[in-house]
Amino acid sequence: MWSYLGRRLIQVPLVLLVVSLMTFLITRATPGDPVQIMLGMQTSPEAAAAMRKEFNLDRSLPEQYGLWVAKVATGDLGRSMRLNDRVTNLIAERLPISLRLATAGMLFALLVSIPLGVIAALRRNSWIDYLCTGYTVLGFAVPNFGLALILIYVFSIKLDWLPITGIGTAEAETGGLWKQFSPFIIPAVALGTLQTAMLTRLLRSSMIDVLSQDYMRTARAKGLLPATIVVIHALKNAMIPFVTMAAVQFGYMIGIQVTIEYIFAVPGMGSAVLNAVVNRDFPVIQGFTLVISIFFLLANILADMLYALLDPRIRY
Amino acid sequence: MSLLSVRNLRTRFATDRGDVRAVNGVSFDLAEGEILGLVGESGSGKSVTALSIMRLVPEPPGHVAADSLAFDGRELLALSEAEMREERGSSMAMIFQDPMRSLNPVLTIGRQILEVLRRHQKLDGAAARKRAIELLEMVGIPSADKRLSAYPHQFSGGMRQRVMIAIALSCNPRLLIADEATTALDVTIQAQIIDLVKRLTRERGTSVIWISHDLGVVAGLCDRVNVMYAGNVVESGPIRELFHRPGHGYTLGLMGSTPRVDGTGARRLTPIEGMPPNLIDPIELCPFLPRCRVAVAACRAQPPARRDLDMGHWATCFADLPT
Amino acid sequence: MADARTLPFQFRGSLVLAARQFPRNRAATVGFVVLLLICLAAALAPWIAPYDPIQIKLAMKLKPPSLEHWMGTDHFGRDVFSRMLYGGRTSLSVGLLVVGFAFAAGVPLGLLSGYFGGKLDNLLMRLVDAFLTFPPLLLAVALVGLLGPDIKNVMLALGLVQAPILARMVRGSTLAVREDAYVMAARALGASPLRIVLSHLLRNMVSPIVVQLTVVFSAAVVAEASLSFLGFGTQPPEPSWGRDMSEARRFLGDAPWMFLAPTGIIAICVLSINFMGDGLRDALDPRAWRTRRSVAAEENGA
Repeated sequence: MWSYLGRRLIQVPLVLLVVSLMTFLITRATPGDPVQIMLGMQTSPEAAAAMRKEFNLDRSLPEQYGLWVAKVATGDLGRSMRLNDRVTNLIAERLPISLRLATAGMLFALLVSIPLGVIAALRRNSWIDYLCTGYTVLGFAVPNFGLALILIYVFSIKLDWLPITGIGTAEAETGGLWKQFSPFIIPAVALGTLQTAMLTRLLRSSMIDVLSQDYMRTARAKGLLPATIVVIHALKNAMIPFVTMAAVQFGYMIGIQVTIEYIFAVPGMGSAVLNAVVNRDFPVIQGFTLVISIFFLLANILADMLYALLDPRIRY
Repeated sequence: MSLLSVRNLRTRFATDRGDVRAVNGVSFDLAEGEILGLVGESGSGKSVTALSIMRLVPEPPGHVAADSLAFDGRELLALSEAEMREERGSSMAMIFQDPMRSLNPVLTIGRQILEVLRRHQKLDGAAARKRAIELLEMVGIPSADKRLSAYPHQFSGGMRQRVMIAIALSCNPRLLIADEATTALDVTIQAQIIDLVKRLTRERGTSVIWISHDLGVVAGLCDRVNVMYAGNVVESGPIRELFHRPGHGYTLGLMGSTPRVDGTGARRLTPIEGMPPNLIDPIELCPFLPRCRVAVAACRAQPPARRDLDMGHWATCFADLPT
Repeated sequence: MADARTLPFQFRGSLVLAARQFPRNRAATVGFVVLLLICLAAALAPWIAPYDPIQIKLAMKLKPPSLEHWMGTDHFGRDVFSRMLYGGRTSLSVGLLVVGFAFAAGVPLGLLSGYFGGKLDNLLMRLVDAFLTFPPLLLAVALVGLLGPDIKNVMLALGLVQAPILARMVRGSTLAVREDAYVMAARALGASPLRIVLSHLLRNMVSPIVVQLTVVFSAAVVAEASLSFLGFGTQPPEPSWGRDMSEARRFLGDAPWMFLAPTGIIAICVLSINFMGDGLRDALDPRAWRTRRSVAAEENGA
């Protein structure tokens, strides 16, 4: 098991190398001179040259990449060209907020998909099963930013129950429980609905599959109570693919949530990348995408580990 | 007084092509301590009969009815589901064909034994563990205390079936139903399991319904045999009687297609030609008629009636069969 | 040893059979018809749109849906319905282009990888892994944001995400089919790899490839809308489903039709494509077919 983990972790830097190379090439393929854009047309050649030197833009492409990789190996992701700060500091500010949003979205997804999936499987072709199917279909079809707008319209504007902004603000950090959590509600629902749809569908079909297995018949033949049969015998089996997919989806979240961050003014990783692209802030783009990719890779490895943990038949 | 009394059991399944009559009027008795064999090919209704007795048939699409289904004097069909749950696993138990698929792969063996003890005998903690170890030793599993924390995939096929037997017998049931319990096992292991069941049930006076398509297995184990075809019992009798003097065309066919080790005369195996009937359309005459080698004129004129051949041996067949 | 899986089916004959199967799935047929209507409407936008989508008419701004303006007007007095029609041209054409790109790039790569295996396979799959690690929307944002909001860049960005997924799927199918009996037979008969690939492997992957392409299509439509929503992609004043949704944010309370129209249209597109995809999957899988003959056979208790 540990050797498997080790092997997987070794592959991480290789993939990251390719990812970072891709990001690097994309940024360097940008038309126009980034320094010019940054400093404006009225700048002196000396200032421009100085900036170019500071960010290694006067070197050849392979040199630039090599230098960047070398710095990353020491944990230095460089400085933002636009904001006067080290990239690592910016990440330290933004990553926790993104994680909080992603967790909120995932929590919502789990809270809805687990009961819905189980009940839909137990009561096939009942009204709740159709509700479940309808919800999952809509969850797939309506894009998360569209859903966000709908929710804002209904719950914020018309009903005035929930706030729109507030994540990452000072007020939210220090206020009471409601002030801290309420800004997350609409974004979490908008963000997590797609995951809910996928997970519900997965759990439902997984449960249906499990319920038709021979060992369920044995459990019934033992005269066990229905709750025991569903939770201990069925769910434990059905949750295995569910948990692994949930872990993978969580890994995707930070990348997906950029539209949500945009709508709700959340100072997270995604919106930082957005701004960096507009501002041609290469170090930020490279550093942030690297971290987001690391997160995704780790989530995938976690998913595999969870699978091994939950299924006693799997031993790496 | 028989332990189990089945009268006119009818189980059907609703499908979009019509109702499948899986069990079409089965009646028999099972005495205390008796080992009854239920023999027939796939689709004959033997498994469904067993599931109907345990009331494990999913309803819908299934539907179980009977004039009487009396177990230990109580009408099983009149019991509520909660009451049935009290019986299952405690007074009546069942083991199934494929022990790998019949045991939950993510739960330990210990867990799967303990939960029955906890449920029906209210045992817990150390007492339950002790009993579980006793049970595993009883069925011949070595290092029983270590095995409790093992998972099904870590056992061999024969050992898994032993575990199933241990679970089934854990609460001392009056009735044990074994549905093709040895079919998925190696021949040598089969013999061990059969001996184990025979010994344990004789010791406890447990009645057994042993379901199989293998006449040889049945011959070595059972006191009586019911032969089933197309949802009916077509012949019933003590084991020796049946083998000596089969009274139904189907039984005769089964014997002719079974290889014999004692080599009574080198003869070719004669398979039974044709296919069993679909169980949706009602059958007017004898269901075996299209495939029968010994049919007589009467068979084509009217449905066969039950004919007593000897003490406790009857068959629903017009033909006069040679011994 | 032949079962339905190993028998190569006659391509043309089975297409006809598949075409007959499709209408049996009502949701799929509805989806197909709806999608067709939307595509036609978008294509014919210059002729059927009641108003000029970019002409500003401040007097008519923020009017709710009415007989003159079926979906109301936006903050510049522009007819939302007309903007939806024109916006469809961008979104749907991007979707189709991405499908084409994904097919052209993903299928050959997947076939090569799966058929030849070995180092090539390893290398290609590592590349695929790397592509899939990159957060797709951010990759698109970076590409389009940095290289320019050209439709080519949008297509490239979205295609670069979808092609690897398709490649991986095709590789999987190739691996499965490669070892099947009839492929071995063809090799034994001396068929060249190209011929094997084209006539045997591809034919049997038609179903999963077609279904995956419908997924690609709907994902691309949504992704293009997301890009435009974020400000990349289609630039104003050109009509765009995603962009219009972004502009609608300021007028959420006053003019909900501004965001409801594009949201609804996108959802309907995705739904139609998905239903159609389900229907295609069933229609193209010979095992799921219920021809008159097989139904009759079942009824006679075969």
